[in-house]
Amino acid sequence: MAAVNPLPLYQPAADEVETAIRFKEVTVERGGISILDSVSANAPKGSCTAIIGPNGAGKTTLLMALLGEIGYQGAIVLGNGKQPLRIGYVPQRLSFDRGMPLTVSEFLAMGFQKKPLWFGIIPKIQDNSRRILAQVKAEHLATRKIGALSGGELQRVLLALALRQDPDLLVLDEPSAGVDFRGELIFCELLDKLRVSKGFTQLMVSHDLATVTHHATHVICLNRKVAAEGPPQLTLTPENLTAIFGMHMGLVRSRSMPENRVVCSAPCCQGKCND
Amino acid sequence: MIDLSPLYALVGQWLPFDCLQARFMQQAFIGLLLLSPMAAVMGIMVVNFRMAFFADAISHSAFAGVALGLLFAVDPNWSMPAFGLLVGLGIMIMQRSSGLSNDTVIGVFFSAMVAFGLAIVSRDRSLARDLQRFLYGDILTISDGQIIFLILLFIVLIGFQIKSYNHLLYIGLNPTLAKAHRIRVALHQYIFTALLSLIVMFAVQAMGVLLVTAMLIVPAAAARNLAGSAGSMFWWALGISLSSSLSGLLLSAQPWARTATGATIILIACGWFLLSLLPAALRRERRE
Repeated sequence: MAAVNPLPLYQPAADEVETAIRFKEVTVERGGISILDSVSANAPKGSCTAIIGPNGAGKTTLLMALLGEIGYQGAIVLGNGKQPLRIGYVPQRLSFDRGMPLTVSEFLAMGFQKKPLWFGIIPKIQDNSRRILAQVKAEHLATRKIGALSGGELQRVLLALALRQDPDLLVLDEPSAGVDFRGELIFCELLDKLRVSKGFTQLMVSHDLATVTHHATHVICLNRKVAAEGPPQLTLTPENLTAIFGMHMGLVRSRSMPENRVVCSAPCCQGKCND
Repeated sequence: MIDLSPLYALVGQWLPFDCLQARFMQQAFIGLLLLSPMAAVMGIMVVNFRMAFFADAISHSAFAGVALGLLFAVDPNWSMPAFGLLVGLGIMIMQRSSGLSNDTVIGVFFSAMVAFGLAIVSRDRSLARDLQRFLYGDILTISDGQIIFLILLFIVLIGFQIKSYNHLLYIGLNPTLAKAHRIRVALHQYIFTALLSLIVMFAVQAMGVLLVTAMLIVPAAAARNLAGSAGSMFWWALGISLSSSLSGLLLSAQPWARTATGATIILIACGWFLLSLLPAALRRERRE
């Protein structure tokens, strides 16, 4: 597997940045097959960290380990390791029963309201929900049933639920899955804006390199091991991408990253990536 | 033992039906008044958690519970709920710890319980007659002790639902999301399972093994069709369950009907379900 590691691992100096998450030698095995092999990586505080890698690279597994859904060896240190971080989680595809009569307002209230929902939603909680829905540009969805939402609408409602928890760390699994390009661009710009204004750390899994090059400030390239880690300009090199994804990535590389530079007319890229 | 006679007398006074003047009918009335709201509220969650098969497995372990009670000379009315509780928690532990899918785990438990019950019963012919009572159930034979236990269970269960209805909805929607939201998923699941097992076992005595799941599922399913929100679903399920149970009891006692109480109740609930399909169908027609 020596060929998988063409770049020396990115090693931030100890005092360079405060980290929000430190994965230390995280190993996950299932039925004797190694899914993650001693993964060590960081997500700097306040960054938009993207985990990229091909299918089966263990990206979602790493998130599940972070959320405590699966067992692992090694350690995952959140923040300074003293106070627990509040995690907001936006799943890739919410598998739920679409026949369930649950309105978006109730969906946003059920984790916060102590009084059972059969007595209605408390006005204060209702106001909070409306405010948070406005932040993700989804005010009009408040009275809809969640089973009747489209993919993009549901994603924004899920984001609202995560933001509602006032997270220190926002974890997103494939935020662009099932959303068209325009929807995805709006979603990512929205996230950029919210991250800067609220100061949370964003950790997302993506196999969409366009999204990553536009929005990530830190990249972890994963293929069961950490293949590369660092700022996108240093990690998303043609050599690295070919090593991680194989031959097929040539297409993406030639279009979006000639000479290690992102050429993109989207407003989010101007002045951010090309400096 | 607390004397429940004043309670029964109240039923006779408030509801001046001829059939409600007999004590066993008054007992059955109180029993259903306690049992059906509990079944309705738990049924909502059974539907949300997709646990219908689970409820079936618990009810079918009634045979083994009765058989064990007879074997160890314990009153089957008590050995049955205790055994159901054990089976329910056993299934939950197995589901959470093994990689097998839920319906496989339940399927294994289900058959083990039925086989075990039948094996013990087949040793003694006289037991077989006793078991028929549990297959069809009979609310009219409910005892004072059971009613007192139902009152206690009612208090515990309503307390749990008031505290946890929202969190249970959340877990039913998506456990991973709920866990990320710092909700104690495992604790809620265990308490829910324990209470559900007890309810199912008491309902078996009223409805019988064959119909107990219907008592949980049918009102909740009809409520789903009729309700516009998770809050109103609760009231719909409650209303449908109570109205079916009490009208079922009264109807089955009429001289012209003389049907089994449990079956009558479920038939009325199923009628509600058919009605509940109408609004959605009408809406679809209007759209077309």
